[in-house]
Amino acid sequence: MIAEPILWALVGLALALVVVRRRSAGVALLAAQSLLLGAVALDHAIGGHGAVWVAVAILAVRGVLLPLVLGQVIRLTREPRRVASERFALPRLVVALAVTLVAIGLAPPLGLHDAAAGEAALALVVLGIVVAAVRRAVVFQAIGFLVAENGVLLASLSVAGGLPAIVELGLLFDLVVAVGVAGAFGARIHERFGTSDTSLLRSLRD
Amino acid sequence: MTDVLVYATVVLPLVTGGLALLARGAWLGRLVVAGALLTAAAAGGLGIVALADHADPAHGPWYVVDAAGGVYLLVVAAIGLLSALASPGYLGPARRGFFPEHRSRPVYYAALLAFWAVLLAVPLVDNLVVAWILVEATTAASALLVAFTGSERALEAGWKYLVLTTLGLTVALLGIVVLYALLADGDASLWTLDWDAIHAGAVGADHDAAVFALVLILAGLAAKIGWAPVHNWLPDAHSEAPPPVSALLSAALLPTVMLVAWRTLAALEPAVGGTGGALFLAFGLVSLAVAVPFLWRRLPLKRLLAYSSLEHMGVLALGIGFATPLALAGVVVHVAGHALAKSLGFYATIPLLRRDRTLATDAPVSLNSTSPAAAGAVGLSLASLSGLPPSPLFVSEVLILAGGVAAGEIAVVAVAAALLALGFLGLAHALIEGVAGDAPREPVASRHGERRLIALTAAIGCALLALTAGAYALVDSALVADLMRGVA
Repeated sequence: MIAEPILWALVGLALALVVVRRRSAGVALLAAQSLLLGAVALDHAIGGHGAVWVAVAILAVRGVLLPLVLGQVIRLTREPRRVASERFALPRLVVALAVTLVAIGLAPPLGLHDAAAGEAALALVVLGIVVAAVRRAVVFQAIGFLVAENGVLLASLSVAGGLPAIVELGLLFDLVVAVGVAGAFGARIHERFGTSDTSLLRSLRD
Repeated sequence: MTDVLVYATVVLPLVTGGLALLARGAWLGRLVVAGALLTAAAAGGLGIVALADHADPAHGPWYVVDAAGGVYLLVVAAIGLLSALASPGYLGPARRGFFPEHRSRPVYYAALLAFWAVLLAVPLVDNLVVAWILVEATTAASALLVAFTGSERALEAGWKYLVLTTLGLTVALLGIVVLYALLADGDASLWTLDWDAIHAGAVGADHDAAVFALVLILAGLAAKIGWAPVHNWLPDAHSEAPPPVSALLSAALLPTVMLVAWRTLAALEPAVGGTGGALFLAFGLVSLAVAVPFLWRRLPLKRLLAYSSLEHMGVLALGIGFATPLALAGVVVHVAGHALAKSLGFYATIPLLRRDRTLATDAPVSLNSTSPAAAGAVGLSLASLSGLPPSPLFVSEVLILAGGVAAGEIAVVAVAAALLALGFLGLAHALIEGVAGDAPREPVASRHGERRLIALTAAIGCALLALTAGAYALVDSALVADLMRGVA
């Protein structure tokens, strides 16, 4: 069972990502969330559920490597000004809270060992999707995807025994590749448009 | 023997792609052609073995070579080979796009071959979560290929594709974790999520929990398959990608991810009963309803072909949802026929776009005066896709609708038939306006590549007719009976 304060901290960090202004602050919050989850995974592994080296890999990749990659992307794509299409933090927060509460209310129990963790996991997945939907900067959309993946990690930690090692490793590999490609896109978009504000990507319409 | 073919099928394109990163000049082209031919031979051979031995699928440590896998292997092998062979005609002189000029060709081929390798592996794996990992891996390679030209529109299309499909696949992964929790009982491992293990575990599982898991998995996979309402990225990605890549996306990727959804449905069937089929029918009808109005609009050719893919993925969903022998026979013919017809349409745009850049943003008008060969290819493609007899898609759509009647879903069949008829009229209209017509245009002199296009059109035309003839043999055959059983 994962302690309730930890679950609240994870969800709180995700909510903060909906409103935080600077991309570097966003990456820091993501790193904090991933490190917290990695610590929980390590704790589980030491307690006998799952391999320790897999938990260390999860901690290292999600908590350190991926935030570093995103940090590098931020350094390469300096914004000339604040992403102009993002102006209203409070409506974003209200939407995020509303969508999350509706999702948790409507969804049946995930059937995990730990019901509270199941709800937190679902909240993280929904909040990850909301972050990717309401934030405009490329880096924030990548952060949204990683928050959703953290939600799935939380759910898998609450399954008796956790996911098989090979699955966790395959998933880490996929994440590294996906974030690498996202970073390449961020660099190209910034080069083409002068900013990584994705609200400028609107020319394809019918 | 099967072992060797399986490993050859997956390893050959990966090795060729890796070597492509190191090759230079003319050696790059020769390497890719050789690697593609060998891969197609291995995969084609494996597909034939699978169909010949469909009653007794070969099993390995991580793979299963069954009837459905065999059909998909043949399709993906053919389209991958054609795309690899069509790529030099598209690439032309190296120029800067997403990648720097001197790297663009090697990286293009490496990404294309890696994409093809993963697409060939997906029908073979016998485990749900491994299939998920492979599908997630396709997103990275294909997103880079979609944005290959580096233009603003291509970047937009590639980014939307990357974000929407990875978020969707994350939701599917949550569904897989929920399923794992449902089936695991302290002794769980990777093999708990093998297709046959899921089927065995589903027999005693809780109905509501299994339905919830299936809904999450299907909703997530739907984003990757491009079913409405999570299809927004599809028209953009398929129209902005290089034509050989669009062919692989439409003809190979979408149906392959649908195979994963189909296998999940078959595996969970003891627990979810008819609810699973109903989900497929819902996605099918909504996709048809969303796609058909766009087939009536004057769209650029590649965008029209992309909306046609949305329509046809809807038809396949209906066939899988009906789940009767007639419908499944229709699904098999439809996957193969759609792949051939769709890829021909995309390959025809290679010489067309080179001659007339306006075709990227404007609807085609009287192509026969610009290029008779391309007009013939586009005409054959659109005629087949619309379901005009003797196209195999006509036969497959009739089989699927008949299968729906056999399943007792009369209302669904009626709505689908009406939508398909409207879709046929829309594409026929685009065909007549785009291919024939009187608007006088200056025929452009270049004949390069036209002879190859004529040969390709003839070959695909013959293959389509052969498929129509073969469809009659497929109905009531033992092969379909084995498909009904799902994965062994």
